Amino acid sequence: MKNVKLSIIAVIMAFVTVSCNQTSNKNEQSSNDTAVVSQEQPASQPKENDTVAAPVVNETPNGQEAKATGKEETKNFSIAPIVTDYLSLKNALVLDDDKAAASSGKKLLATLNKVDMKAVPADKHKKYMDIADDAKEHAEHIGENVGNIHHQREHLASLGEDLKDLIDLFGTSQTLYQDHCPMFNDGKGAVWFSENKEIKNPYYGSKMLTCGKVEKTINSK
Amino acid sequence: MTIKKKIILGLAVVLIAIQFFQPLRNQAVEVPATHIERVYAVPQNVKAILVQSCYDCHSNNTRYPWYSRIQPGAWYMAEHIKKGKDELNFSEFGDYSARRRRNKFRSMAGQIKDGEMPLSSYTLIHRNAVLSPEDKQVLIAWFGTMEDSIK
Repeated sequence: MKNVKLSIIAVIMAFVTVSCNQTSNKNEQSSNDTAVVSQEQPASQPKENDTVAAPVVNETPNGQEAKATGKEETKNFSIAPIVTDYLSLKNALVLDDDKAAASSGKKLLATLNKVDMKAVPADKHKKYMDIADDAKEHAEHIGENVGNIHHQREHLASLGEDLKDLIDLFGTSQTLYQDHCPMFNDGKGAVWFSENKEIKNPYYGSKMLTCGKVEKTINSK
Repeated sequence: MTIKKKIILGLAVVLIAIQFFQPLRNQAVEVPATHIERVYAVPQNVKAILVQSCYDCHSNNTRYPWYSRIQPGAWYMAEHIKKGKDELNFSEFGDYSARRRRNKFRSMAGQIKDGEMPLSSYTLIHRNAVLSPEDKQVLIAWFGTMEDSIK
C-alpha cells in the first residue's frame, strides 16, 4: 500500500515537472516567434528603399524605430482606421449580416483601443476621450449582439453621431457622404456615413435600401 | 459506505462550506450626488417604476430578498448586478458625459420597448418588477423627453 502511494506521488511529481518545463518551453518558443517577426519587419523595408540603406536600417534597434514612427503620428493624427472599420460595419448592416457586423464591431473596438493617446493633439484630447469612450461601448455592444440586428443598428445610430463629431474634430482622409435616415429611432432620424454617393441604408437594410438622402459631402483634407 | 453515499456526502459538505463564502452586498445608505434623482427631476410615477424594476441591478443599492443569502445563488446574483451596473448605473448617472447620458436614455427606451429589460430571469422571481404596458409607456415617454433635452 505504501509503495502504491509513493509511486502515485512520484508520478504526479513527474507530471508536474514535465508540464512546468513545457510551459516554460512554450514561453520561450513564443518569444522566439515574436523576435523573428520583428526582425523581418526592418528587412522588408529595404525593398521599397535603396538597397544601400539596408544595413543602416538593420542596425537600428527596433525600439527606436517604433518611437520614431510614433513621433511622426503626433503631427498628423488620423481617424482613418476608425473610419475604415466603421464603413465595413455599416456595409455589413446594409447587407443585413449580423455576424459580419459583430466582427466589424469587434475590430472597431480593437482599433479604438489601439489608438495611441499621445498621438492625439493635446487641445483635442478631452473631446477625443469623450467620443472614443462612447464609441467603444457601442462597438462592444455590436460585437456582442449576433442574432439581434435591430440592437446592432441602434448602436450604429449612436456611432454615427460619434463619427460625425470625430470628423468635425480631425477631418477625414477620404471623401465621405453624410446621409440621413428620417425614420429610424421613432422618426427622430439617424445619421450615417458612406464612402459612396449612392444611398444604401444600413438602418433597414434590404427592407428600405434606398430610403434616405445625402445631407452633406465631406471632402478629404 | 457505498460510492453513491460518499458522493452525496461530499456534495453536501461542499454545499454547506460555500454558504460561508458570501459575496459583498451591493448596498449603500446614502444617495450620492451623482444619482439620477439628484441630477434630474424624476417624476414620482417614473421614480416608482425605476425603484420597483430597475434599481436592484442598476444602482448601488439592491433590495435583497431573504433567500439571496443562499449559495451558490448569491454569486449568480452578484455577477448579474455587477454586469448590470457596468452597463448602466443610476447611482453614477451624473458622472456620465452628456453624450453618454443621451445615449443611455435612448438605449433605455429601446430596451424597454423591445422587452429586453427587465431581464426575464429577473422577473421570473421578482414578479412585481414586470412592467405593465402603462409602465412601459411612462418610461419610454420620459426617456425620450430626457434624450431630447440633452444637447
